[in-house]
Amino acid sequence: MRRRDLFRMGGLTALGAAAAACGGGGGGAGAPGAVELQFMYWGSTFEQKAVNKMLQAFERSKPGRKVKPLFTPDEYDVKLNTLVAGGRVPDVGYVPMAMSFRLGEQGKLVNLFPYLKKYPQLAGYLPDAYLWSGQDNLHGVATANEIELLWYSKSAVAEAGIAPPPADAANAWTWDQLVENAYKLTVDQNGRHPDESGFDPKQVRQFGISSSITYGAAWYGFLRGNGGDIADEQGRKCLLDAPEAIEVFQNLQDLVYKHRVAPGPGQLAATGDDVPGTNILLKTKRVAMVVDGHWSLLDMNESKVDYGIGVLPKYGEPFTASQVAGASAVFAGTKHVEEAVELFAFHIDPRYVDLYQQGLWMPQEKKYYEDQAAIDSWTKNAAHPQEFRTAVVDYARDHGVPDFRNRLKNLSAISSDLLTPALQELETGKRSAAEVLKEVAPKITAQLQGWHHTQEL
Amino acid sequence: MAALSGQRRLERRWGLLMALPAILGFVIFTAGPMVASLVFSLSDWKVGGSLEYAGLDNYARLGGDDLFWQSLGSTTYYTLGAVPLVMIVSFAVAMLLNQKVRGLAVWRTVFYLPTLVPAIANVVLWIWIFNPDFGLLNSLLRQGGLPGGMWIYGESTAIPSLIIMSTWGFGNTMVIFLAGLQGVPRHLYEAVSIDGGGPWHRFWHVTLPMMTPTIFYNLVVGVIGTFQVFNQAYVMTEGGPNNATLFYVYYLFRKAFRESEMGYASALAWVLFMIIMVVTFLMFRNARRWVYYEMAGAR
Repeated sequence: MRRRDLFRMGGLTALGAAAAACGGGGGGAGAPGAVELQFMYWGSTFEQKAVNKMLQAFERSKPGRKVKPLFTPDEYDVKLNTLVAGGRVPDVGYVPMAMSFRLGEQGKLVNLFPYLKKYPQLAGYLPDAYLWSGQDNLHGVATANEIELLWYSKSAVAEAGIAPPPADAANAWTWDQLVENAYKLTVDQNGRHPDESGFDPKQVRQFGISSSITYGAAWYGFLRGNGGDIADEQGRKCLLDAPEAIEVFQNLQDLVYKHRVAPGPGQLAATGDDVPGTNILLKTKRVAMVVDGHWSLLDMNESKVDYGIGVLPKYGEPFTASQVAGASAVFAGTKHVEEAVELFAFHIDPRYVDLYQQGLWMPQEKKYYEDQAAIDSWTKNAAHPQEFRTAVVDYARDHGVPDFRNRLKNLSAISSDLLTPALQELETGKRSAAEVLKEVAPKITAQLQGWHHTQEL
Repeated sequence: MAALSGQRRLERRWGLLMALPAILGFVIFTAGPMVASLVFSLSDWKVGGSLEYAGLDNYARLGGDDLFWQSLGSTTYYTLGAVPLVMIVSFAVAMLLNQKVRGLAVWRTVFYLPTLVPAIANVVLWIWIFNPDFGLLNSLLRQGGLPGGMWIYGESTAIPSLIIMSTWGFGNTMVIFLAGLQGVPRHLYEAVSIDGGGPWHRFWHVTLPMMTPTIFYNLVVGVIGTFQVFNQAYVMTEGGPNNATLFYVYYLFRKAFRESEMGYASALAWVLFMIIMVVTFLMFRNARRWVYYEMAGAR
């Protein structure tokens, strides 16, 4: 579940072997005058196809450019670290978010700030999309603007005879409404619900809801909506032991152990730690509702799930985590900086890339959320259901709070050494949220180094 | 004489040439990286950064690192559980396979077979066996009317589960025990029988003493191996839940390749190396008291 965080953009558990990630730093192989670039990325098998198509489109539109895709579905951070240590980085590619800040500070990523004039489409982004490692040092952007949503199986909802989760923020369920409906959607092998006598929690056929405790983006919207945050304004004091935070995490734990409407650790896994993708969970109706990112849309459509999209339940404010993505960047080791930046600008431009129409990515340019024609250009198609406009476009624009994982310094150490272990303990249900969080918050405070730099363009 | 020394020269030259791949392999892939990691361990090198001398800072930092102690504790726990269990199981099975029974070759193959299963396939199999909902273990327990466990998903049961799993690969240890058992001289057993001793006496007064060098060998190899346990944490638990299975080498790997702290990770590696060396040294010291070598002076 932890490793998955990194690869959440893929949705599906990544299959297949990695392409050998060893090659020159974009050496000019092939015809004389031709420039060969390397593009390194992760994702599901569907995403692999889509990205390769984008790279081919780039080659067609820019004669004399060759791009070698380095598809690396697993252990991306390990492999990229190894390439950096060996001085054989790709030219352009995805970079795990926390790692991008480190590489940016080390000067291993090309500063894109001077290029914003040449590529004006990069200058009109949502402010949260830009990744700064110091004043005027723009080391990358979040690859896509992804947000967390409440996916559900239409037929499971119909069978339970309940109204589907609301698709607009104004009418979002309260937490209690979510729990109430989750009871109706949870069924054991004998058809009993958790509030009926004889319900067997060991033999659950269909869980009502799955909302990860260990995956930060899944709960960050709840936390912010309840008036809490992970750290204070200076980013020096951890606030996870505040009452607002404790309430949110206790509610998540209660879904599993008190209400018994959500799966506990190990209960969804077919083989090990990697839980099947949301598309599989909904299609097989193992779970009726799942909190997961927008990127699931591609896999949802590809595997022909009868799904619907709702907004997350709200606490005070109906918030959802936005910018839930990895970074994209140009590596400073490239021999062809201009061409590499050109590919960079291309690979996230909705005019050329059909990953937006296919449902994997949401654009970063503001106009795609504000201008009707621009909105239609990526959402008016068969891959985007009717409720998409309110449940995703409007929801992201008006109710998105940027994922703390893009903004907090030293997060990779905090996450693997302190936060994830604490959340795992919560997940096993042995101790309450108050006990666990009050214990870990001061330890996290000791590791906090502030928020990352941000600036207006 | 001249011809002989010529041949010697030839042998020396060719011998060196033949050994060269092994020597090169050792220098390039073992000795070189070891020296490099020693240098890294004295620096604050992070991947992508520059290498700056930091003296013993990394080693000093270890003492205050809770996770270092935690990982050392988990690893020791695992070693203390897995090594004796594997030794006892493999010794017992080796004794059984040392009997004259029908289909001996088949039995030996069957017991050795799990060792041939690739590590990852093995791990995936056990993930299923341990699954709390539909795994083999809990299904069996439920049929027997017993409550199931959380196994690798529970904080207190994760390491015991992995210890149980470690017995699965006892084949190699068993083969060594089997070879040792076949080297026990027959006449000693006959002597016990003549003195009126039964199977227990044969085991206690002959088999066990004669087997001590083999037991010692398996003990040392076992301890060194389990101190470096990694696969299970990497594939099955990712160190969880709540750091319960944060084994030393997995923690080292995480520091090095996820958090890029090569300097600190190298210090971790050297400390482990020293721990293993000390433990092995102590075992050798202690061995004089209980390991019996028939040929005097053999070690």
